[in-house]
Amino acid sequence: MDSPKTHDEKLQMFFDGELAPEEEAAVRRSLEGSAEGSAQLREWEQLRSAMKNVASDWAGELDSDALFARIENEISAPVVPIEQTAPEQTALPALRVVPGGRERRVWGGVATGFAAAAAIFLAVMAWPEPHLDPTPIARGSEVLEADFGSNTGTIFEVEGGAGESLAVVWIDDEEVGLP
Amino acid sequence: MSLIRHLLVIAVLLGASVATGAAAQGSSLARSDRASTISNVPAEVLVILAKEEAGQIDPQLAKMTALRRPPFNSFRSMKILSRPKLKLTPGKDALVSLPNGRRMKLTLLRVMPDGRYKVKAAINRPDKSDYLPLLQVVASPGDPFFVAGQTYQGGTLVVGVIVDPKKTAR
Repeated sequence: MDSPKTHDEKLQMFFDGELAPEEEAAVRRSLEGSAEGSAQLREWEQLRSAMKNVASDWAGELDSDALFARIENEISAPVVPIEQTAPEQTALPALRVVPGGRERRVWGGVATGFAAAAAIFLAVMAWPEPHLDPTPIARGSEVLEADFGSNTGTIFEVEGGAGESLAVVWIDDEEVGLP
Repeated sequence: MSLIRHLLVIAVLLGASVATGAAAQGSSLARSDRASTISNVPAEVLVILAKEEAGQIDPQLAKMTALRRPPFNSFRSMKILSRPKLKLTPGKDALVSLPNGRRMKLTLLRVMPDGRYKVKAAINRPDKSDYLPLLQVVASPGDPFFVAGQTYQGGTLVVGVIVDPKKTAR
């Protein structure tokens, strides 16, 4: 349920053209007999036109091309070492408030973060990786496949000196004579 | 200007990172390539005559503790009959004569990505396939595998094969 609008609110909405047609007609009728309301509307109208004039004057004075050219010159200007600063520049105050300093600090933080990440990445990549080492991690020996032919055989695993598992294939046979 | 310097530092660091990564990858590829194109690998075959009778264990076998564990622990004497050294070339057979007239045929099949060697072995009389037609083993450099059980002169032949014997795995 809408709360009833005060007279001032209705007048303001009438001025802004935000009232429903029937409300607008009612306000218009009430203004015909109200000098005070008409005066208020004229005052607002004067304010609005004054603001429009100021805004258009500022827009006309702003030279966007010159502004961008100045920014480009600032970026491409060579860095002047402190020792080579002209005498008239040394007279400038040592500290001054620079607009956008917060943004620079933020960018500096981001850049430092990136640099730290890159340094970590470098360290990880340059670190000797065990899997790249030609010396294998797997130790010992193991049987993949065995065909004992007509003999019987057994595959053992025996522990080596370093605890590694070594493959032993044991095949029974009768002693063969030398050819 | 400070912002530009920061960005330049980032660019340099990232460039260095990419270069290092590429170098590491290149090194990895080079090792992989070395593994696949390796020309030959040294190998050593230990031909041991083991007997249950009390006797001497060859001092050269003292460090091979595996020979004192089952199934070898029933042997109380061990003698090295021969210790031939050979070169294993991928795809080519290398022959070792055994004292009982059989021959051991060893073939290096490939070098595994983890550095181990895949080896094929067979033990037979010439032109026969009556004993061990086929055995395929993977072995780390310096770690032996054994083929035992052939009877000879009242004892048992234990044949140990060590691929790349000078390289000791960690």
